[in-house]
Amino acid sequence: MNPTPFSTHRSAPAAPEGPRSAQRFIGFLGLFLMAFLALPAGLAAQSGEDVGPERKRAIDSLALEKVRDLSKYIAIVGNKETPVSEADRVIARTLELFAPGSEMGVSSINSPDIQYYPVRRYLERLMQLNYDRVEIDWYDIQYISDLERQPDGKYVGVITIYQRFSGYKQGFEGSQLQYKDTTKKDITVYVERKETQIGGRTIGFWDVLLGDVRVTETRR
Amino acid sequence: MKRRGRIGFGGTFPVLLLGLLPCLVQGPQLHAQPGASSTSLGHRKGDFGDETALYAETKQVNQFFRRFNAEETRDGERLYPESEGYHDPAFRESFLDILFDNERFASGASAQLKDRFTGQVLGRDGQAPVFLDFHGSHWFAELECLFQYGGKEQPLTIFLHLEADRLGHKWVIDQVRFAPYAERIPPPREAGDEFLHPLSHELDFMNLAKVFRSSKDLAGYLPQGWTPDPLTLFLLDVAEGNMRFRTVRSLRFHFLQVPGWYFRLEDVQREGYNTGWLITELQRIDPAARHAKRLAIQFGL
Repeated sequence: MNPTPFSTHRSAPAAPEGPRSAQRFIGFLGLFLMAFLALPAGLAAQSGEDVGPERKRAIDSLALEKVRDLSKYIAIVGNKETPVSEADRVIARTLELFAPGSEMGVSSINSPDIQYYPVRRYLERLMQLNYDRVEIDWYDIQYISDLERQPDGKYVGVITIYQRFSGYKQGFEGSQLQYKDTTKKDITVYVERKETQIGGRTIGFWDVLLGDVRVTETRR
Repeated sequence: MKRRGRIGFGGTFPVLLLGLLPCLVQGPQLHAQPGASSTSLGHRKGDFGDETALYAETKQVNQFFRRFNAEETRDGERLYPESEGYHDPAFRESFLDILFDNERFASGASAQLKDRFTGQVLGRDGQAPVFLDFHGSHWFAELECLFQYGGKEQPLTIFLHLEADRLGHKWVIDQVRFAPYAERIPPPREAGDEFLHPLSHELDFMNLAKVFRSSKDLAGYLPQGWTPDPLTLFLLDVAEGNMRFRTVRSLRFHFLQVPGWYFRLEDVQREGYNTGWLITELQRIDPAARHAKRLAIQFGL
């Protein structure tokens, strides 16, 4: 067995939609969500910055979209068929999802000590995993915490998702499973109220960025 | 359908299925549950295989609070005060049952203790029901870390609690426990013959010179009830570069929010449905002794 240093691993061939079309879709979705979450600054001031149930649901959707983007990009970066130049471009897109200084904290069943990687380093190592073929399966379940307010006024939440990884190598009898695991990912989500000028009007909106990610191997 | 190398959320917005009450798969004893019938659920199939265990797991400490208080549905959707089922006693009872590590509270005295605790929390004793408060005091975290110190890796325990600050809250380091400090700091002791007499001030405390000449142990000259402060030593060691963080090894939480009770919360990982953040230790304590219990945990007494 050849344990991997990550919970997110090299993926099988990329999703049918390539990065560009995925980005167009995501971009459209982001605009839609931003519009959905936006409200005039004056109204925002009247209502304060409280996150009520309806707004919380909308923010959850936006945060989940970012998590989906992250997972999609990881699959592309991990795919051996992705050219290096394309992988570099996707890494740059991935980093845009994160707040500066975000890290991945990774542990496994055999090595419970947490190893800390900057996101870029994590992705670069993901590119270098030594398997001929990998499968990444994402469980349907996801759990979203409450949003808690920090001293600086930003909100923070955690989204938990699960992933199953299988890594194969070519042997005398064909492709053989070398390693598999299931990992839990607890992903920090920062939610901040911002303002922008559109058509001379000040529009307030809720911006979402990902933060530190804790990756725990739960079973093999 | 099995998805490979792509994200399994589908191309449209998902319904936010957030968690499944584990006891739903354990049998029909469940009571009223907002959001679904009480008998029809069975196992949860995901895109590949049975995901019931993942739904059942108490996946976050946040979920432990929400389940303990009956503030989410069995699917993990947040309930608000105006929601049907919010703080519902029957719903809550079914949640409480699975928030304990069943391998430790299945039978005997521990099971009876659990029943008494549950009864009090639900208000069966005629008192008001008790709910956990994330922002409330009387709960704290214990973080087992590894630090590089004195030329080798050594375990050091950090205690943290939540504190209000400006617009929100933050975790703050409350205390540390570290074996080398315990060896260096003199333990509290009974008053003896070492003291500075009450008119020492008239002589500009000149008797202190003798104290410092004759002893390196000043414990006898400290106030009664003085407790050592390893946290200050820790701050000095970090600032002077003597202490280098390596990693976190484990995390647990201590709760003293339910009057007359202490319980410990730990992440239990194993096969089955009774997993995640579970109560692994439960004790009756004197309601007036919460602070003493906290000190005992922090100082490993």
